[in-house]
Amino acid sequence: MDKGRISSIQMGMMMYLTILATAILTVPSITAKYAKKDLWLSPIWASIIGFFTVIIVIQLSKRFPRQSFFQICEHTIGTLATKLLGFLYFTFFLIASGQITRTYAEFIKVFFIKTPVSVIMITMLLLSAFTVIAGIEVIGRVAQLFFPIFVFSVFIIIFLLLPQLEPSNIFPILENGLLPSLKGAIIPQIWFGELFLIVFLLPSLSDSKGMKWGILTVLLILVTFIITNITVLFILNQNTEFYIYPFLSATQLVNLGDFIESIEPIIIAIWILGTFIKITVFYYVTILTTAQWLKLSDYKPIVWPIGILIVEVSFWAVPNLMVNNHIDITVFPFLFPIMQTFIPLFILGMAVIRKKSKSLEI
Amino acid sequence: MKWGIFFCVLIIIGVIILYEWKTIKTYPKKDRITFFILLIIAGALSLFDLPNLPGPVTLLESIFQPFGNFMESL
Repeated sequence: MDKGRISSIQMGMMMYLTILATAILTVPSITAKYAKKDLWLSPIWASIIGFFTVIIVIQLSKRFPRQSFFQICEHTIGTLATKLLGFLYFTFFLIASGQITRTYAEFIKVFFIKTPVSVIMITMLLLSAFTVIAGIEVIGRVAQLFFPIFVFSVFIIIFLLLPQLEPSNIFPILENGLLPSLKGAIIPQIWFGELFLIVFLLPSLSDSKGMKWGILTVLLILVTFIITNITVLFILNQNTEFYIYPFLSATQLVNLGDFIESIEPIIIAIWILGTFIKITVFYYVTILTTAQWLKLSDYKPIVWPIGILIVEVSFWAVPNLMVNNHIDITVFPFLFPIMQTFIPLFILGMAVIRKKSKSLEI
Repeated sequence: MKWGIFFCVLIIIGVIILYEWKTIKTYPKKDRITFFILLIIAGALSLFDLPNLPGPVTLLESIFQPFGNFMESL
């Protein structure tokens, strides 16, 4: 459908920004609520889902090279079930994109108090829509451009925070056993599961290193997760859970010789860069899902109509921030793994069984 | 029902149709129908007071309620 080609490194960068852009700000606080001082251990458990998802998706694409996700489904579970699955994924990605756009808008609204939420969302979606129309190649290149800025800024902030760090905050390790850190992993696994999106990018890869870079991306995300969580823990200690955006609050403490201080606008700027990639990738995947589900000849005409739908769904699904935080804890930790890990696993299982029964027939 | 929002969405839909009109004519029938159906859904949704309307997430919340209770008890 999309003739553009990206390299697997660009795919890795896209996924890195897609996952970390929102995770870096909100996840430490949610993790700390359950894991308390073991919050730096939780990403390790959560990343298991990430590795698992990448392996499932890569195995699927190895069995059916250069085929879209719904074509794979048709080969394994039949046309009718695929149509139903297509509808489920369409609504799922619509809700996910709406929720992401809304979270972005609510964060920006903290600084732009008088601007209506809809204006913030529409301006961002307008930009994303143009990028989506330009195709996967442009999204890949934009991600490649923003990736070094994002990583460099995060690590320069951590470097500037070095004088404030108190490594003794890490003790006691595993005070109440492993269970709190495992509980804390329930929420971050949503973000690791988002690596499922590579199933839509794999057919556009120009090389065959998808497996290598997929696994490397999970590792890089894991390392960044652990580093940010440890930084937040070293600075805010057990108070981490009471901040909505702990990394932002930690950044406000940067003070080098009364000269370098108040650098939190940098983190807001890099967060916007990252979220732009995140919204664009989700927007692109929503459109690709619709086009592949309905077997359209091109995805470009539906970009604008879906854009309006995303704005409307973001108001429909997320009426206010209270509901947003509530569904983040009660619905998404179950919905996301089902859609992103277990359904692909089921399809992979079906593919394996079908192949075996076919070889037996012969 | 908020007429202001509805008319704003109608204007946006009109702009989209005008903008895409030249290209949409060259696409197959299926694409054109999808394009217009999606626009009609978007227009119809803007008639409702969406934040207070039970939606897909309300459904999901009731489906995952046992799990949700488990998460809140942790």
